[in-house]
Amino acid sequence: MGEDPSSSQMSEDDDRSPPLDPISSNKARNCSGSGCPSSSSSSSTDYIIPYPDQVLENVLENVLCFLTARQDRNAASLVCKSWYRAEALTRSELFIGNCYAVSPRRATDRFSRVRAVSIKGKPRFADFNLMPAHWGAHFGPWVSAMAKAYPWLEKVYLKRMSVTDDDLALLAESFPGFKELVLVCCDGFGTSGLAVVASKCRQLRVLDLIESEVIDDDVDWICCFPESQTCLESLMFDCVECHVNFEALERLVIRSPSLKKLRLNRYVSIGQLHHLMVRAPQLTHLGTGSFSSSEGNAQGDQELDCVSAFAACKSIVCLSGFKEIFVDQLPAIYPVCANLTNLNFSYANISAEQLKPVIRNCHKLQTFWVLDSVCDEGLKAVAATCKELRELRVFPVDPREDIEGPVSEIGFQAISEGCRKLQSILYFCQRMTNEAVKAMSRNCPDLVVFRLCIMGRHRPDHVTGESMDEGFGAIVMNCKKLTRLAVSGLLTDQAFSYIGQYGKLVRTLSVAFAGDSDMALQYVLEGCPKLQKLEIRDSPFGDSALRSGLHHYYNMRFLWMSSCLLTRQGCRDIARALPRLVVEVIKSDQQQVETGEYVDILYMYRSLDGQRDDIPKFVDIL
Amino acid sequence: MELQLGLALPTNNNFPVKGGLDLNINDFLCHPTISDGSSNKNKKRSFTQAFEPSNASAAVPRTLPWLLWNNQPNDDDEDDTKHSSRYTIMIKNEEDGLVGWPPIKSWKKETSFHIHGDGGGRRYRTVGINGGNSTFVKVKMEGVGIARKINLSQHQNFQTLLRTLMHMFDKCEIDSDNYKLTYQDREGDWLLAHDQDVPWRTFVRSVQRLKLLKRGD
Repeated sequence: MGEDPSSSQMSEDDDRSPPLDPISSNKARNCSGSGCPSSSSSSSTDYIIPYPDQVLENVLENVLCFLTARQDRNAASLVCKSWYRAEALTRSELFIGNCYAVSPRRATDRFSRVRAVSIKGKPRFADFNLMPAHWGAHFGPWVSAMAKAYPWLEKVYLKRMSVTDDDLALLAESFPGFKELVLVCCDGFGTSGLAVVASKCRQLRVLDLIESEVIDDDVDWICCFPESQTCLESLMFDCVECHVNFEALERLVIRSPSLKKLRLNRYVSIGQLHHLMVRAPQLTHLGTGSFSSSEGNAQGDQELDCVSAFAACKSIVCLSGFKEIFVDQLPAIYPVCANLTNLNFSYANISAEQLKPVIRNCHKLQTFWVLDSVCDEGLKAVAATCKELRELRVFPVDPREDIEGPVSEIGFQAISEGCRKLQSILYFCQRMTNEAVKAMSRNCPDLVVFRLCIMGRHRPDHVTGESMDEGFGAIVMNCKKLTRLAVSGLLTDQAFSYIGQYGKLVRTLSVAFAGDSDMALQYVLEGCPKLQKLEIRDSPFGDSALRSGLHHYYNMRFLWMSSCLLTRQGCRDIARALPRLVVEVIKSDQQQVETGEYVDILYMYRSLDGQRDDIPKFVDIL
Repeated sequence: MELQLGLALPTNNNFPVKGGLDLNINDFLCHPTISDGSSNKNKKRSFTQAFEPSNASAAVPRTLPWLLWNNQPNDDDEDDTKHSSRYTIMIKNEEDGLVGWPPIKSWKKETSFHIHGDGGGRRYRTVGINGGNSTFVKVKMEGVGIARKINLSQHQNFQTLLRTLMHMFDKCEIDSDNYKLTYQDREGDWLLAHDQDVPWRTFVRSVQRLKLLKRGD
């Protein structure tokens, strides 16, 4: 069974080429190794070109360098063996969408000249405590393999991986030219690990910790950066819940003239922020830390200084932080509002009245994250000013189910009417209507990401009492570019019929507490050819629904189904039918003796290397 | 007789049981006199008296917790929006609610909007992404430069804690006699961490950081 051609599928994310099953891609291997007739010159029959492969491959390599998109590279690698080799030698950015889909050894064997690696681990539902702890996604085996294979590695991007301090130490020691480390939603490491990276990676330009859990080892990692001038361009540690040594931080900022992006954590007070801003007026991205005084009293002259500090930072386009915002200080940011393209207020518990003076200046805003404390009225203000808005996320202050929410279909519809260029929306609310959702489907035809979370489970249209089928149906019908969809509220099989019928570009679908029968899942699995990531919880889908997707599972990154109606036997049937699929049955409660009829969690994904060797006790691979 | 169907979290505090509905509702229904005085003054029969007059102390069947004896006769029915939602399980407190719903990351729930925490020690609680529950506190040993961290939730008594700490600092167990374990509590005071001085549970709840001091100080 072809190993190399099908592995090019493994690293695909956006599948722009038609899905290739492992069998058909064998065609590429049959191409003669002595030079593909289509690519060599047609007048070559009379004389023998010495080592035609080498010439061809040299030429190819020079051309392929210009191919950067991994979909293009994947396609190129399938032309013939020659192209395959040339592409493998010239790929410098490696993307692994599922760390268990391929072994580190296989990846490093194929691609030998990689400079940048991205690896994604746990499925997204792990963020919401649905995955038991210590499930896996360890960075260890990857860093060990890369330490040997890629001495010139410069960039590592990890998402939802378990990273230990030892892993970070190995990384820091193995790659002398290391430049960028970005850890998103990772855990397992602490300030000790950060200290090693800071001190040993002398060429470090980027150290971004985003939504990661960092253990406080009581190590002063900020002090560990080299004493000389640094190359730092980006330092983001807003998720690090430990005190930092402010004096050391200030000195670091002073000796980092290239620093453009700085995101502080909530232990940095507004006074300290001011000091730093004065030192780094060239900043383009700023995370403001707590945005309140450490002593609890607002000092008048402090506020004035902050205004001038913001005024001096003429380049700021991205503003975030406000972790413990002192609302009185908010006017300090007015000078930068006109230039902002990205504003994150998702930690700022502010009202509509407090938002309005800020937002009315943000004409260029493209990305806005906010709390629903601003109410429908605040959203109306956004709609009135932010005509360039591309992405909106509205998070709940109080994420419970059965309460009166401050935002509703009113704010939602206002946004749809004001922000016509909207491409991505994430909206948490307590009530919604089909009418508002339909309105958005008509007003915002460019929508690519539509995630609506009506927090009350099974909640119908607030006005009509009907299900939300028609609203979501309108979205898939009218938003022709839609690739990501998350549904909620009361939904019958009809909603899924719409998705299967119209959601031809949908790649990621999130379902919770929805649907009536197996048909719902079947509609989706049969109707959505581009489906890559499907995550379902607490929905009445059983074994026959699972079977209806057998034709498609090899084309998917993963399928997650928890608290559904799947039996162990049903999962086993799938595992038997598809040998290249890893079918994990996971127990969510480790104490519980398994007596239930239904499987707690099914997590399945294609893999070239079969079962992983690091399964914990609560996971069974069928 | 008035009954209130508990289809949603109560918005007003009708229930005699403090702090919202307690799932140990059987106790309440069987022993109505234990609740606050108002139900005594009220001449209406209690739930158990009404339904099982022959055996007032019979255990109420498990399905009945959804029904509550409500002493306010004038409450309206649930408003219409609630009827269509399926019942939600009454929860003791927010943290015991449905796992992972609504889908907000735990760290965002926990770390945002909190009042400035207690000044003293930085006690790092990891919940959420790990899925589990752990309580790390810093430990310093006198004479050793680098501090360590230890997960207290993995211990149940001072003996195992001390043994683990000794291993952590590369000391053999015999040496444990040469050190005394002290801890800093919420008020910032340093106290001896020992069975005779403080019960384990009290210790775990109040400890901010640990220090191992050489005996003979």
